[in-house]
Amino acid sequence: MSCFDALSAAEIARGVAAGDFSAEEVARASLDAIAARDGEIHALLQVSEELALSRARELDEARAKGEALPPLAGVPLSVKDNMNLIGSRTTCGSRMLEDYESPYTATCVQRMIDAGCLPMGKANMDEFAFGSSTETSYFGKTANPWDTERVPGGSSGGSAASVASGEVTLSLGSDTGGSIRQPAAFCGVVGLKPTYGAVSRYGIVAFGSSLDQVGPFGRRVEDVAMAMNALMGPGADPMDSTSQECPVDFLEHLEDGVEGLKVGLVPALSEAEGISDEVRAAVRAAAKALEDQGAEILEVALPHIDDSIAAYYVIGPCEAFSNLARFDGVRYGYQEPGCATLAEQSEKSRAKGFGAEAKRRQMLGAYLLSSGVYDRYYYKAQQARTLITRSYAKAFERADVLLFPSAPRTAFKFGEISSPTEMYLSDMFTISSNIAGNGSISVPVGPGPESGMPLAVQLQGPAFKDRRLLTFARAIERAFEAEGSVAPACAGKGGEL
Amino acid sequence: MALSEHDVRAIAEYARIGLDDEELREMTAYMNDAVALLQPIVDFDPEGVEPTFHPIGDLSDVMRDDVEKPGLDLESALENAHATDDRFFRVPSILGGGGLS
Repeated sequence: MSCFDALSAAEIARGVAAGDFSAEEVARASLDAIAARDGEIHALLQVSEELALSRARELDEARAKGEALPPLAGVPLSVKDNMNLIGSRTTCGSRMLEDYESPYTATCVQRMIDAGCLPMGKANMDEFAFGSSTETSYFGKTANPWDTERVPGGSSGGSAASVASGEVTLSLGSDTGGSIRQPAAFCGVVGLKPTYGAVSRYGIVAFGSSLDQVGPFGRRVEDVAMAMNALMGPGADPMDSTSQECPVDFLEHLEDGVEGLKVGLVPALSEAEGISDEVRAAVRAAAKALEDQGAEILEVALPHIDDSIAAYYVIGPCEAFSNLARFDGVRYGYQEPGCATLAEQSEKSRAKGFGAEAKRRQMLGAYLLSSGVYDRYYYKAQQARTLITRSYAKAFERADVLLFPSAPRTAFKFGEISSPTEMYLSDMFTISSNIAGNGSISVPVGPGPESGMPLAVQLQGPAFKDRRLLTFARAIERAFEAEGSVAPACAGKGGEL
Repeated sequence: MALSEHDVRAIAEYARIGLDDEELREMTAYMNDAVALLQPIVDFDPEGVEPTFHPIGDLSDVMRDDVEKPGLDLESALENAHATDDRFFRVPSILGGGGLS
């Protein structure tokens, strides 16, 4: 007997298919690990025991009948709590949606379940995905499984922590400005933000409609590739007009290696001010590892990339203000009782339902979209987006992928960054690919020699070349032998299979 | 141009977000910090550059066939509302002076 957290997604699915263990046994092992570990980590807001066991029994019955099992049969999954799943609440980490029952299931979640995953629970997040530390959730903070005095990153901090702690094997998160890649880096797991439009967003609570993208977390690049096959295999989603057809097998070229391919370093980013020595060294080591495997390293420029943060904090809040206008306490969400008028009810429901950061982002968006201000900010930010996108296109004429830091430093302590605008700078390396829409991935490279906390690097590729990113990520994973790492304090705690 | 508490109060009314006096002070400080962070966009001279409102540049309207399909059923659509009446959401008076209408 061993702990299920030592197994890859493929090993779990093979074990279930071969009858080495049942899907129900895996579900119970995951529930056991959650019970043993999540008290301290608080990665999950809800544990959906009945949903997980019921899906597991379906798979076990299918096997008993001799039916072929799907590729992720019995693989424990958590999903960020901005994704609807019938039978669970979808709170977005907010008092506003504390009691909101999912009226339907998001396409991405359904596709993972169809591929055999067991929905173990809903993962904590910064309120409405506004944040980089999961400290703004109304339901309390999530701790970093590597050091519980530190943040897991955000906004998909619960997703990253649930995978890093070994409570589940896979998780889904959403990334509007780095919300998959930065927590993946802080928690030492793989996190992929696919190209905009690659994965359906139907059933996800919207934040920034021209920026949001759903993607997977895993402890291995191969697990993430399998999740991408589940998410994209069924084709474009007719329920989401941004969803694109992209028929590729993400496992097909995973082990191809990187010989003869070109990796672009952007000195202005890799050597930027504010990056810790450990992170700087990690990028150099990753470049060397790729070079040792036959890749060519070259320097490329990304003009206008410095404007990304300002462009993002115009576009993001404007889109957020528009999207969150729907929360008025009438059709769903917190409702202030005893109000005399609809306007009073709306104002008071929003005042009490939203937390401080959700109010700040909406206020900023409301201001930037107001008459006389719009032209100075919103329109020009969209022009900046054109130039940033062109910079990428030019860089990708010379390089197959770009290599960046994922975040300027390793996970910081709770409360260490108290200024909202200072917190915004922690996304300095991730925002640009949301602005341009291209895919990007954070890959762990092992714990830092000084901090002892996970270090990671980020790879960015051209739009709809996400499979290539996984090939590069696998090359890095191979070099650093980083695959499968569960946070040391959690590994093997509960979860016997 | 710095935003005053008066300006921020007006934005809060427009955004329908009630703020007490302390929140108003904090929000005003935040708004001025955030607007300062956005200065590169004001300084940016993008003459002649087309804006990109959406990362998929050639995305066009996606229309499905005009065929009747089941949508969200009434019960599900109303289940998260605090006040309903028959097939409707109930709201307080819009102009004031009444109860739930």
